[in-house]
Amino acid sequence: MSGLARQRWTLATVLVVPLLVLAAPAPLQLAGVPPSWAVLWLLPWALMDGPLSGALLGAVLGLLLDSLHPGPLTQLPVLVLLGWWWGRLGRRRAPIERSFSLGLLALLGTALLGASLALQQLVWGLSSPAAVHTLLAQTLLTGLLAPMLCSLQLLLWRQLVPGLRR
Amino acid sequence: MQSPGRGLRLPSLRRLRAAWPWVLVLAALVGVRLSKGAFLSDAYALLSRPFWPGSAQSEWLRAAQQLDQQTRLDQLEADNRRLRELLELQAGSAELLSAPVISRQVQGWWQQLVIGRGSLQGLASGDAVLAPGGLLGRVVSVTPSTATVTLLTDTSSRVGVWVGRVRHHGMLVGQGSDRPLLRFIQQDVGVRPGDVVTTSPASTLLPPNLTVGVVQSVNEQAVPAPEAVVQLSAPAEAIDWVQVRIKAP
Repeated sequence: MSGLARQRWTLATVLVVPLLVLAAPAPLQLAGVPPSWAVLWLLPWALMDGPLSGALLGAVLGLLLDSLHPGPLTQLPVLVLLGWWWGRLGRRRAPIERSFSLGLLALLGTALLGASLALQQLVWGLSSPAAVHTLLAQTLLTGLLAPMLCSLQLLLWRQLVPGLRR
Repeated sequence: MQSPGRGLRLPSLRRLRAAWPWVLVLAALVGVRLSKGAFLSDAYALLSRPFWPGSAQSEWLRAAQQLDQQTRLDQLEADNRRLRELLELQAGSAELLSAPVISRQVQGWWQQLVIGRGSLQGLASGDAVLAPGGLLGRVVSVTPSTATVTLLTDTSSRVGVWVGRVRHHGMLVGQGSDRPLLRFIQQDVGVRPGDVVTTSPASTLLPPNLTVGVVQSVNEQAVPAPEAVVQLSAPAEAIDWVQVRIKAP
């Protein structure tokens, strides 16, 4: 675990995610579906802080978000997996900071998260035709917002936490 | 003594000229008479328009009508309660608590509301949540100051309902979209678009006879039993305050 997680105040920014989920700002919705705020926060964090920190914060996010939603569906396993995967990608020599790369990673991550939720709905007998609509809308919206929001977060982490690897 | 030809003389042209305005007045009066005073009525309407009964009076009438309906509703509810007690069904003694909607997720993977009242105000899991129009959902979890409400549209929502016209029970199943699905147990239920769906009169989980929605379309070919799409009567997207029916202690 590197510099980001050691700064307690940066760690506290994870609380913004459940607050945004609860606030559900209407201007940032597509056909009534909000973006995946967890993916938008976790992607830059894991890219900067590595696989262990990414997986741990993915678990923290998963626990926080699962507490907001009653029912058997969980986001925790996929967020842990995404945090670990993006953390490993961030350890590569060439830093991932191009808008297209960030958008594509967020798009893939949201699609994976949505697919896992749709699969869980199927397993628990809660499947519905609206799942496809939700998955597509959320994936598209998160992929569109990621280049802007994730780039800003990457810049912010670098400016505010000196001594980061990149 | 006058000669007999003197009385038959026509009036002079000068006199006729002097009398023509009176002829016009007479013609106008005859016209008014023949039109049954249309001109007078219209003129009166035009002049008296500022003094016509305004919106205030229509509001009084509406308020009186509402009072009348409310009184009748109270009487019917009292009758209903007495009859239910005789039948030993759920008494339905409960009070309504208003609660603000502080978070709303009506689309997406979950369809839920978070309301700003919790266990400190007497809310408990399972309480019915109402809005103008009818039933909205049920409380699934409470904290001291908030409560999470699962909407009828959520995929985990299953509510027993009743179609009064055909006297059939059904199960309202959330589909993750605006319109839940009504599944019947029997064949040939005879439900058609426009039928009103309410909570079951014999329900023990929810208050009986609450309006849920209106049948929008029916699929008679569904297997094993017909299904209907229901348009909910309480719009969750546009409601800022709800009422929670909390059980009396």
